[in-house]
Amino acid sequence: MSDIPTTSTEATAGSPDAPAMPVPLGKGVRRFGRRLSDSALAYLLLLPSLIVFGVFAYYPLYRLFWYATHHQSRFRNRPATYVGFSQIRDTLTGTDFKDGLLHSGLFMVYTVPLGLILGILLAVSAHRRLKGIKIFQTIFSSTVASSVAVASVVFLTLVNAEIGYFRDVSWLSLKNPTSALFAVSLSAVWQNLGLTFIVVLAALQTVPDELIEAATLDGYGAIRRFFKITVPTISPALLFLAIVLVVFALQAYAQIEILTGGGPSGGTETLLFKIADPSGVRSLGEKASLSLGLFVLTAVVAGAQFGIMSKRVHYGD
Amino acid sequence: MATDKPITNPEFPGTDSAETASANAGTPTVESAQGKAVVASDLRPPKKSARHYLGLTGSYLLLTSLSVVILFPIYMLILRAVSSPLAYISAGQPLHPVDIQWDVFKVAFVDANLGRAMGLSFVVTMIIVTAQLVTATLAAYAFAFLEFPFKNVFFGLIVGTLLLPIEVTLIANVETIRRIGMLNSVQGLTLPFLATAVGIFLIRQGFLGIPSEIRDASNLDGYGHFRFMFKVALPMSKPIVGSFIVISFLGAWNQYVWPRFATDRQKWQTVQVALKTIGSENPERLNLSFAAAIVAALPLLVLLIFFQRQIVRGLTAGAVKG
Amino acid sequence: MGAVTFDEVTKKFGDVVAVDRFSVRIEDGEFMVLLGPSGCGKSTALRMIAGLEEVSGGILSIGERVVNNVAARDRDIAMVFQSYALYPHMTVAKNIESPLAANRKVRLPAAERATRVAEAAEILGLTDYLGRKPGELSGGQRQRVALARAIVRRPEVFLMDEPLSNLDAKLRTQTRLELVDLHRRLGTTFVYVTHDQVEAMTMADRIVVINEGRIQQVGAPQAVYESPANLFVATFIGSPPMNLISGKVSASAGGSVEVTTDAGTVTSTCSASLSKGADVVVGIRPEHLSLSETTSSGKGLRAKVENIELLGHERHVICSAAGSKIVFRQANDAAPVALGQEVTLDAEPDGTHLFDPTSTQRLN
Ligand SMILES: Nc1ncnc2c1ncn2[C@@H]1O[C@H](COP(=O)(O)OP(=O)(O)OP(=O)(O)O)[C@@H](O)[C@H]1O
Ligand SMILES: [Mg+2]
Repeated sequence: MSDIPTTSTEATAGSPDAPAMPVPLGKGVRRFGRRLSDSALAYLLLLPSLIVFGVFAYYPLYRLFWYATHHQSRFRNRPATYVGFSQIRDTLTGTDFKDGLLHSGLFMVYTVPLGLILGILLAVSAHRRLKGIKIFQTIFSSTVASSVAVASVVFLTLVNAEIGYFRDVSWLSLKNPTSALFAVSLSAVWQNLGLTFIVVLAALQTVPDELIEAATLDGYGAIRRFFKITVPTISPALLFLAIVLVVFALQAYAQIEILTGGGPSGGTETLLFKIADPSGVRSLGEKASLSLGLFVLTAVVAGAQFGIMSKRVHYGD
Repeated sequence: MATDKPITNPEFPGTDSAETASANAGTPTVESAQGKAVVASDLRPPKKSARHYLGLTGSYLLLTSLSVVILFPIYMLILRAVSSPLAYISAGQPLHPVDIQWDVFKVAFVDANLGRAMGLSFVVTMIIVTAQLVTATLAAYAFAFLEFPFKNVFFGLIVGTLLLPIEVTLIANVETIRRIGMLNSVQGLTLPFLATAVGIFLIRQGFLGIPSEIRDASNLDGYGHFRFMFKVALPMSKPIVGSFIVISFLGAWNQYVWPRFATDRQKWQTVQVALKTIGSENPERLNLSFAAAIVAALPLLVLLIFFQRQIVRGLTAGAVKG
Repeated sequence: MGAVTFDEVTKKFGDVVAVDRFSVRIEDGEFMVLLGPSGCGKSTALRMIAGLEEVSGGILSIGERVVNNVAARDRDIAMVFQSYALYPHMTVAKNIESPLAANRKVRLPAAERATRVAEAAEILGLTDYLGRKPGELSGGQRQRVALARAIVRRPEVFLMDEPLSNLDAKLRTQTRLELVDLHRRLGTTFVYVTHDQVEAMTMADRIVVINEGRIQQVGAPQAVYESPANLFVATFIGSPPMNLISGKVSASAGGSVEVTTDAGTVTSTCSASLSKGADVVVGIRPEHLSLSETTSSGKGLRAKVENIELLGHERHVICSAAGSKIVFRQANDAAPVALGQEVTLDAEPDGTHLFDPTSTQRLN
């Protein structure tokens, strides 16, 4: 939806169970002197959100199915024809989707582990009592201020084939599909450093000092303390970040449009790039089919998140 | 046993008689280790060891090199923004600015589209943040404080929207907006974002944190639902609401995909989208694009400096409490 | 050997002196309680023994070894933290085993470790919970896991920092007894930090009373209670606290001193001879005051009953006497007094303490 980590764990872990409400009072009894019944009021309060979600989340899902099951000419004046599931099947088994999947997958492989490791490195370095540590913490979180688009323009100055500072570094070259995808991924890694740093640092700060001290007395050295005590304790935050980064990778678009335009020879066209299709080479039906593919992937990630988060056993008390 | 030396310092009360008291109790309590041979190296002079300073230097070295890695791209951006593009290239693209032109920002604002794009971004962001706050608060109140039929179903519907981010519904939503003639309009840019599931969850969480005694007390005081919402529930959830506003702003300001496809005229480009087009027609004006990127990031930089705590809380809200 | 010796040990945090020239020897096998109000430096003292804080000055030894420079893990001590500090991601068994598994230098074979874990779990009644994680235990059970983790390594010294403060009152009383029992069974040195005088009185072999970073008194609980070394100890220990009245020495001879206060005259057993007219503070515990039967002796403290607290097994009668508040204890079956009644109170000479008002030191 946006650049912020909207994959809230609240959403999935939170259940709709009601708060501990007082025992519902009989019909005639009035709580909160009011004219409306609680139910009517509730529906009224939900209405604005439900309208927005209905029109811009659920209706589009229906429309995606509709487009995907109809063949539409790229010339809009022709009527659409119903084609059943053939278009979805053809698109989702075709090379276009597979390439998009591959590129999105590679993007994930490049951004998620590297982003996590760098985030942890930054957070661990800045989680100390030192003079001036606040300054370093501010520097480390500074990329939170940059949007995907800004980060992409920033990386133009580094990796652009003509004017980038690292234009001659082959493994960052935008002229070769493989290195181009990696260079584009790096811009995402850099842009997300602020977020990963902030989340990991906040998690580190919740690890009780006494826990680390207990481990020291038990005889763990600094390194084993980190891997045996600290990492498991902050693992929920790391998991959250991993999922957020996966979702970001799945939704990568601006970096590609700004840095490579999908090239060279389609080598950086991620799934969303193919769906958005800025140059308009795909029909609406194809794009809708691809969108349904992305929808399934999003659902899988959300499902995994829900599964992991609800199994999450050790979050202290 | 007790020596001529007092147990602790005689100038402090209590020390002399400590000995008396323990003597009364018949147990030898204190013993000065004065006579004991103590190797000097056993006693670490506090905080002055070479190791300590070595560690300190190492820490700062690490922190500084990490800072350089993070700041280098930003430095390059500023460098490229203020250097005259052609002169910089013919100088061999060095690490220092060439032929500095500070008026690049003015040119970007006045001649290029930047001023209008910034203004549009502000308007769009304000509308989205305000609307999200209102719709999320109302819905959160219903889920937190009211009982009604099909509550679970409605909650499920809202959770379900997490599977339908704008990236998934992009194609269909663009068609919808096009059909109702709102392509290239403020309405078109904002409508899909006037409500947010994440906001509802966050604020609901805040509301649920209000002790039930407080609800009961307001009830006895005769507060109606709306007075309770505005006078009690919202003020008591201020930290969460603050964090939500900040991350909502962040999200709305930084959007790219939707404004990119909900518009097809330069006039209606938000600043994020304009970054791509400003200066891109002419290599001589490439610096405008870099200057625009700086300007586009400025509001958030200000936000980061003044609302650091809220940003951190907002970004970690999902991570910490499940 | 598990004796712990502080010799002029000092700890500074910047300008704050948290522990000021501590000198005390904690004997091997002793149950020593460090008692004092919040912020007095007791945790800091304990953490120096553990090696979690560096010693700023003085010499700290465990057994015969100076440990100023010895790393925490090499000190052969175990510590129970206030928050228990259990590893949330490990099972109870793994938590208990942790000190045995962690130290690679002296790692026991797995079978031996398992035996020891089982043994520690047995002692603390945790056998049924070995597979659980700390999040799935009650407060009391967690506390016992923390204890098990401490005893499993059979250290020379146990350190405990307010280990009972997160338990409810009932569990606290019960665990107190269990700790004393554990100490008896293990026979190891216990150093126990608390601000709760009841814990100190009931468990300790000896108490170190600390205030503002300095040792005020060291002694057996009864000794500290019966002969407080100074006004701080006198008022810190005992509930309701000792009554204090200022007065002047009016006679001093033959092992007893007579003090005249605004409320009347009291006699104190005192071997030292005090000069006539000297200012003193008289301290009398509530149980050492009683209603005078002979009303006309001219001795005793005249007071007016202001409030009566009924405790079931006894009464606390709160009176005012020449501007000071005086509390005395009455058995339940004693003749009741009425509010507003004028009474005369006799003090036991053996329970009448004298303190120097300027140095606050005990005089008798
Ligand atoms: N790491 C530290 N840095 C600076 N000052 C500290 C530090 N640790 C403790 N102090 C100070 O040292 C003094 C003693 O602290 P300590 O924790 O030993 O008190 P305590 O007796 O354990 O109190 P409590 O009963 O509240 O736990 C306090 O004034 C405290 O503020
Ligand atoms: Mg303490």
